[in-house]
Amino acid sequence: MRPYRDRLATRRQFVESLCGGLGSVGLAGMLGKPLLAGSDGPGGPHFAPKAKHVIFLFMTGGPSHMDLLDPKPALAKYEGQRPQSVDLRTERMTGGLLPSPFDFHRHGQSGIEVSELLPNLAGIVDDLCIIRSMYTFNPTHTPARNLIHSGNIASTRPSLGAWVSYGLGSENENLPGFVVLSPGARGGDLWRAGFLPAEHQGTHFNHAEADPEQMIRYLRNDVLGAAAQRDQLNLIQSLNTEHYERVGGDAYLEARIRAMETAYRMQFEALDVFDVRKEPAHVRKEYGQTPFANGCLLARRLVEQGVRYVHVYYGPGQPWDDHKEINKNLRQRCPDMDQGSAALIRDLKQRGLLDETLVVWGGEFGRTPVSEAGDGRDHNPYGFTMWMAGGGMRGGVAYGATDDFGFQAVENRVSIHDLHATILNQLGFDHERLTYRYAGRDFRLTDVHGVVLDELIA
Amino acid sequence: MRLQACLLVAAAVAPAQSPEIEFFERRIRPVLVEKCEVCHSSQLAEPMGGLRVDTREGLLAGGASGPALVPGSPESSLVVTAVGYLDPVLKMPPTGRLPDRVVEDFRVWIAAGAVDPRDRPVEASVESGDSLAGPGTPIEEGRQWWAFQTLTERVVPEVSAPDWTRRKIDAFVLAKLDENGLRPSPEAAPRTLVRRAYLDLIGLPPTFEQIEAFVADPSPNAYPNLIEELLTSKHYGERWGRYWLDVARWAEDHPTSEATNRPFAFAWRYRDWVIEAINQDMPYDRFVQMQFAADRMPGFKPSDMRALGYLGNAPVYHKDRRLSRDVIETIASDDWDERVDAVSRGLLGLTVACARCHDHKFDPITAKDYYALAGVFASTWQVNRPMVALDAEKARWLTEQHEKLYRIKGVYGNLQDLDTVAEELHAQIIAMKPEYEALERELANHETPMTPAVIDWGVWVDGSTPTVTRMDLRPGQSRNLPVFVRGNVANPGEIVPRRFLSVFEPGRPKPFADGSGRLELGAKIVGEAGPLAARVWVNRVWGWHFGQHLVRTPSDFGTQGLKPTHPDLLEDLAARFVSEGWSLKWLHREIMLSATYRQSGRVREASLEADPTNRWIWRVTPRRLDVEAWRDSILKVSGELNLAMGGPSAEVDSDSPARRSVYSRISRGRLHPVLQLYDFPVATQHSPIRQITTTPLQQLFVLNSGWMQARGRSLAASIPADLDSDDRIVALYRRVLSRQPTAREVELARDYLAERKIVAGREPWDEFAHGLLGTNELSFLN
Repeated sequence: MRPYRDRLATRRQFVESLCGGLGSVGLAGMLGKPLLAGSDGPGGPHFAPKAKHVIFLFMTGGPSHMDLLDPKPALAKYEGQRPQSVDLRTERMTGGLLPSPFDFHRHGQSGIEVSELLPNLAGIVDDLCIIRSMYTFNPTHTPARNLIHSGNIASTRPSLGAWVSYGLGSENENLPGFVVLSPGARGGDLWRAGFLPAEHQGTHFNHAEADPEQMIRYLRNDVLGAAAQRDQLNLIQSLNTEHYERVGGDAYLEARIRAMETAYRMQFEALDVFDVRKEPAHVRKEYGQTPFANGCLLARRLVEQGVRYVHVYYGPGQPWDDHKEINKNLRQRCPDMDQGSAALIRDLKQRGLLDETLVVWGGEFGRTPVSEAGDGRDHNPYGFTMWMAGGGMRGGVAYGATDDFGFQAVENRVSIHDLHATILNQLGFDHERLTYRYAGRDFRLTDVHGVVLDELIA
Repeated sequence: MRLQACLLVAAAVAPAQSPEIEFFERRIRPVLVEKCEVCHSSQLAEPMGGLRVDTREGLLAGGASGPALVPGSPESSLVVTAVGYLDPVLKMPPTGRLPDRVVEDFRVWIAAGAVDPRDRPVEASVESGDSLAGPGTPIEEGRQWWAFQTLTERVVPEVSAPDWTRRKIDAFVLAKLDENGLRPSPEAAPRTLVRRAYLDLIGLPPTFEQIEAFVADPSPNAYPNLIEELLTSKHYGERWGRYWLDVARWAEDHPTSEATNRPFAFAWRYRDWVIEAINQDMPYDRFVQMQFAADRMPGFKPSDMRALGYLGNAPVYHKDRRLSRDVIETIASDDWDERVDAVSRGLLGLTVACARCHDHKFDPITAKDYYALAGVFASTWQVNRPMVALDAEKARWLTEQHEKLYRIKGVYGNLQDLDTVAEELHAQIIAMKPEYEALERELANHETPMTPAVIDWGVWVDGSTPTVTRMDLRPGQSRNLPVFVRGNVANPGEIVPRRFLSVFEPGRPKPFADGSGRLELGAKIVGEAGPLAARVWVNRVWGWHFGQHLVRTPSDFGTQGLKPTHPDLLEDLAARFVSEGWSLKWLHREIMLSATYRQSGRVREASLEADPTNRWIWRVTPRRLDVEAWRDSILKVSGELNLAMGGPSAEVDSDSPARRSVYSRISRGRLHPVLQLYDFPVATQHSPIRQITTTPLQQLFVLNSGWMQARGRSLAASIPADLDSDDRIVALYRRVLSRQPTAREVELARDYLAERKIVAGREPWDEFAHGLLGTNELSFLN
């Protein structure tokens, strides 16, 4: 954390920059001046970063690892039984072992086994760094989701994206640093800034709409042209600056001044950036045209423009929560997830962006190898699979392992904190030093935990 | 009296439960309740076959086919024949044979003598001994937690500057500041203070003239008089009633499927009742009780019926009647869970809903406590009830017809796609439409105002018809729920009588005896649990005044929540709140007249460094206005705010009439985007606290929305055009910011208007006015 006095100095500079930009001869001095860059933050990475951006593809509900990326032939052998070793406590009533209805085959040079449901991801498996030994601490959606988003099961800490935005600052002052693409428009509790400055909270867009003017309300000013609007905004901002000085300065006021500036710039930038329809037909075909595919494509466009962190929800609701009919449900849901995710990796790679963009895929937990309701699977916090790609991670790796049935991570276990530590590491941060002082102590995303997964770094 | 004696004896003996009774409670009783009592209960006027299985007597007597049960002899017991499907005709339940395990349980039970504790009257049955509130149990230990202690007023602490203190609150605050090496801030400037008081109490900014009058009043009573004046304003209830509506998760529709769960037609009547009650300073204990059982309380007036909207407007989840009984029962239990959660977190700061699947891991709340409360909600049903005086028969008839209309229309909405329903039901479903249409026409002739309420009807789920599951509503009956083991309705355990949380009832909790139990529940919340309810409410009110709470987890006073920053202050204030008759207006005075509240909001660098989040209240933290106060401020200064009170809601962005935000339509499923944008809580569940965010998307609304632009035009048009430029600037400043502009501000305005005139060919007063509406000064409270 930067010493407090430096932050005060920044604040003074900020005010001076506003006043300095507003000469008495007209108000055009502000135009085009990136006066709002370099807000509060730790002043950049601790060491040379591998990645500059993160795209998190979040599979809300907890996808079934045994049916997708962690093959368990023993399930067929012991079908319907409940051996002692898997008699773990589950959230709901569960029965005997349920074999995966899907075939697994080896792919790529690495020969990693992938489910038949994921032909596209199988095709790029040599770019994936698959972790089959994830575990989390809570079998319930909300606490587990809080944990993977913020490192804590309570809904009070800053989200991972907010930490990244805080740590790295903005690369493009025309866009928010932390963008959330979610087709469900529920409250922002998962992309909160918590105790971090408010400007780092995620800005949410409903990417189920492909047209930016539908996606982003009030994006267009029907009355004023760009120059006239700039004049009007300069007026507002100079009044805000006067006010800010008069009342003695406050972080909240500052945040709104910045937000207003971002808003102004967004309306020009966003019409382009947020419009996936501007992509050539062959690119859109690669991704597919489902909401999730649009989210993946949009995420690429956003990181291209310097957005630090994009969180794409496969939603709305918690679609991967397959308590029943795993066979039918996964067959329906996997194709667009598979196509969109794989297209994103290929596309980033082709544009030379994969090296500097860390893609993370997973849900809040996995699912049980034992059945629920006959043909479904319950929540499983003991063991599950996630993958990363790009951003300096090794490709073609299947790391760690669950037990013979996929219930518990047993080999090279990776906690959510380890995952967070590794993500921060790739962005150039020592997770133990990226702190923020609040309520009398320094807080970290990883609290007192977290080990960087050195073995997985290229 | 005799009942009571019975209970006392039972409690005193507290026998360890025999294994036979336990077997009955865990394996037999749930099956009888869930599978048999639908048709064979003494609660039914004509139980089928004359058989009643809900008492031991009834089973022994049997029905038309003879005794159902011969203790010791499973072979001779008809009940075994029936559930075992051993007879070609007598097969029970008719919907399908029960699992072998269950049939075997019946054999074992009867062979062992068919021990059945139900030979005692139902009311006297006691819960089994585990996890009750004896000494040394987790409940007894949990009771030691600070939040469960009795309330006592505290002695004023020694402080460094007694002269600074104005009210008792101040000494507690100053003591903490002293402890932490901090000093309070000087008093805020009069202009700041008057604006703070207006927005805080009535949610509207003062006019220029009101501010000037206050500033010019040299009397030491000027400020107390101002507070008094604002407390008598009818707009006060609109501001503080809205806060309550967050706690009550009030909205006007359901989160899922409009076809079956249509919006509440008269939800606004509850909102109006809340505003009236707050304006009258109804004592908080009565305010709470009325929302559970106004219809059962002394002094009931028909218009009090509106208070029941707290339960009557609660969210109900969509139940597709094609789903199985267990699924529907699960969804119904989600409804009950929502009530348990809203009531326990909202009123008591307790996370009782955590005990749905298991005893609470951290707080003294058992799964039985949970189901004891949930049973109250399984014994109430949402329905419109008349809010005017009618004779009892007419009132009952109207209530039932409204219920019937709502239900039939909903079921029709659900099942009208006949392809998805078994053919034998088609005729029935088709007949529903003319039936409800006729009912609609009939009810349209009655001009009786109705209001969403609840009524004591037990709720069961009837899965006896294949392919369609029905809600089985039983007027006047109550339903004690079993503990659904790990929350699973297919796994019912011991049945728990409806009652209050055991942590508040030393000794053995008494079952509720009056209807659903909602009257007793409301009374106990402010009675036995009154000290906690008072702490929770005082803490919330503190948070709404200061933007930060003393207990910063306002809906969790359990061990996982945070402890108060100022424990003595909270205890003392809550104790006095109760002894002052639970008066909210008293509480406002106590807080707002304090030196603590009157502090400036200005940053002092050293203090900010030492205490960046203002935990110790060394200043009043400035904050963004919530969406209601912000929107109302804009409409007020643009001259468009229609101050009419009450009545049906309007969309938040509607121009005409532009009413106060508290009268905006609130949807659970489709919350208006403007409300979403400004952190309005999603009313599908209780909201402990509003997040206050500042985002670029909000600013897009400010800069670009037609709504904001229209406000700018109206504002500009409301200033006489014959004034010269500078006078117009001054007039706009007085209107929007209730003050004179500074010389620099006049200069900025002149420059802007002049420059825009060169480009646009006119002085764009509407754009300028719009700009003023977009400033921080209007959007923040300091």
